[in-house]
Amino acid sequence: MTTTIPPYRSRLHPARAGFRHLLRAEWTKFWTVRVRLLVLAVAAVVTVVISQLGASGSHSEGPVQVVTGPDGTVVNDAFHLTHRPLTGDGTVTVRVTGLRSADGGALESWAKAGLMIKANLEPGSPYAAVLTTPDHGIRMQWNFTGDTPGSAADAPHWLRLTRSGDRVTGYDSTDGTHWRKIRDVRLSGLPHTTQVGIFVATPAHQVLHRSFGGTSETFGGGKVTGTFDHLALRGTPASAAWRSTDVGGPMPNGPRRADAEQGRTTTDASGEHTLTGRGDIAPDESGGDTVQMSFQGVFVGVLFMVALGALFMTGEYKRGLIRTTFTATPGRIRVLAAKTLVIGSVTFAVSLPATAVAFTLAQSTLRANGYEPPQFPDYSLLDTPALRAIVGSAALLSLVAVLALAVGVLLRTSAGTIAAVLVLVILPQILAFALPLPAAHWLLRVTPAAAFAIQQGVTYYPQAENNCLPESGCYPMQPVHGLLVLAAYALVALLLAAWRLRRRDA
Amino acid sequence: MSDATIEVRNLRKRFGRTLAVDGLSFTAEPGMVTGFVGPNGAGKSTTMRALLGLDAADEGEALIGGRPYHALRTPLLEVGALLDAAALHPSRRGRDHLRWLAHSHGLPMSRVDEVLDQVGMDAAARRRAGGYSLGMRQRLGLAAALLGDPPVLLLDEPVNGLDPEGIQWIRTLLRDLASEGRAILVSSHLMSELEDTADHLVVIGRGRLIAETAVADLLAAASGDRVRLRTSARAEAMELLAREGATVAVTDRDTLTVTGMPTQRIVELLTGSNVPIAEVAAHRATLEEAYMELTRESVEFASARKSEAAE
Repeated sequence: MTTTIPPYRSRLHPARAGFRHLLRAEWTKFWTVRVRLLVLAVAAVVTVVISQLGASGSHSEGPVQVVTGPDGTVVNDAFHLTHRPLTGDGTVTVRVTGLRSADGGALESWAKAGLMIKANLEPGSPYAAVLTTPDHGIRMQWNFTGDTPGSAADAPHWLRLTRSGDRVTGYDSTDGTHWRKIRDVRLSGLPHTTQVGIFVATPAHQVLHRSFGGTSETFGGGKVTGTFDHLALRGTPASAAWRSTDVGGPMPNGPRRADAEQGRTTTDASGEHTLTGRGDIAPDESGGDTVQMSFQGVFVGVLFMVALGALFMTGEYKRGLIRTTFTATPGRIRVLAAKTLVIGSVTFAVSLPATAVAFTLAQSTLRANGYEPPQFPDYSLLDTPALRAIVGSAALLSLVAVLALAVGVLLRTSAGTIAAVLVLVILPQILAFALPLPAAHWLLRVTPAAAFAIQQGVTYYPQAENNCLPESGCYPMQPVHGLLVLAAYALVALLLAAWRLRRRDA
Repeated sequence: MSDATIEVRNLRKRFGRTLAVDGLSFTAEPGMVTGFVGPNGAGKSTTMRALLGLDAADEGEALIGGRPYHALRTPLLEVGALLDAAALHPSRRGRDHLRWLAHSHGLPMSRVDEVLDQVGMDAAARRRAGGYSLGMRQRLGLAAALLGDPPVLLLDEPVNGLDPEGIQWIRTLLRDLASEGRAILVSSHLMSELEDTADHLVVIGRGRLIAETAVADLLAAASGDRVRLRTSARAEAMELLAREGATVAVTDRDTLTVTGMPTQRIVELLTGSNVPIAEVAAHRATLEEAYMELTRESVEFASARKSEAAE
């Protein structure tokens, strides 16, 4: 049979099927299932409400005497110092001959013996120091938060500090002849006359007990003896005599009377100085993180976002709708990209106002519950820790939705996908409260749960003694690095999904 | 080759240990409804999925206008497909289902309303798809296939679930669409559904081509040129017709089957010799019979293999 009918041509030419059209189609697909809009609204409200409940359940015992460093950080500043006033520029040199525990306990890894230039004897005043430690080698530290490693050496070791204007330079040496510069720092507001000298300090001993449902941290004791010789000061001393002071002390390191004992300095005929003291010079991280405490609802918001992301993909597999999708757009990777952009933007756009409102409300509740400056800083919405936590939490919620979408391509079933993503994101958080600390820290580094680090407002410094307990809101990774772990998971899942879409029949 | 030809060449597709399509080749031309027939599991849907780029062929090609599906720039304007009418999100309204499809090709909402009107779904399209009957789903699926006004239509079992009125409606629709010059491939596992609709037939069984033929030729071949003759003078009639060159067989006590001679000539000969005729009728096969005839071989082959396997 032959036909004479000319072939038909669509009357709708020219039409376009570009990526812009695909994005619009996927967005239409999203909102035309109206219940999804409801779920988004509920997710936002629940995030705010749970954050608010979490904040109103926390109380602080009112004003506490705290010491703050030059930049406002809450710090510990208590130690035993043998000092002389120095007018103008000068150099102080010493050899640390030994550092040992003086209370029968073990020597803490961040016990310190070294040289210091300090603005005055008030706790919290600006300073710079070079010091030896039992486990961390020679360090130069300044204004509590600054820390630079020098040689990996142990006592006996030579140390030197030079002041020139508002610059202080730290050196170390094995023989007192060949000096290695560690670094120089600017101490703004350093007065013309400063206090220079030798000091000892040690953090308190800690005992940590963790088990399911409870953690106890006990602090107490800690006393060290440091020995020094060849102490020499070049410059213009304002007085001839070396004097000794317990700066910020005597530090009551524990409840026992002996813990409040004063430091001592003895000097023998050969010029050897023996200093015994206690206390620590470091940021104080024991206070609690009021930024992290403001985002408890995000944990619950995750559940909604995972479900939305997973169902946006698996819903199409369940009903065979994916074939209609790939018939309209044969470029499957483009479909995945459009779906990712749509679910990512929608969840981010809803999460951002939710986390901003949650933070603002929770902050005012925490303030009313006794979390007040100076112990707890006043965070501005647009300053780094708060802004980072707000935007980062919204990004976290958006990324878990994207992760769920990609896992949905791999598993194709709704229940399996939601379960798998929740196991990855939520379970490590729960296990971290119960597992031994090293295992908990490992989990919070290698799983997407690391992303919750983005909610930290307190900066955890390596030179401060801290157990970093997950139940106290401490995460082992830097905030942005933690979020990047989740982003990496989402990216890898998307790449696997793309690979799978190309290879497998729809 | 025209833009609107569906062409399958040497297509082979295996799922695990099952060979779903085994070296299949056929063509569906524009201006015709091509029926794609075979029992369930014969490989019809797999072939259609291969044509739509959903399943990758192990061997061979499945082309639309000479191009594989993934090479089409605006696929909805070139091919309309109805694979599975149940592939709808139950919470999405029918109109919104067409809305996202239209957006993907930058088509206006007026086009959505046009096709909804064409399939008679205006009112129901504002309800959620979860409450649709199978017939409504089929209509919505057809609307989706027609959205881009494409010159090629691939419809997998579109008649399934339609009421008699709906079946009549879709027959007319397909005939009209074909008469505009479109190439239409309609699959069915029931030959009777394609009666009065298809011009051309592609019959497959167990993934292989059994026949590719025009419907008219198939019917003629199945009918043969057999004529059924009922007469009280059986012997005379046999002798007379055999002498004139026809082949005559006895069917019954008073019935003969005559082949090799047109009806008109039989009547002339018998009346000329005064042989009484009680009834004379040309045998006309239905499409279903023709199909049974065609597939008997492959069915027998299948049952022979089965009994072999049983031994």
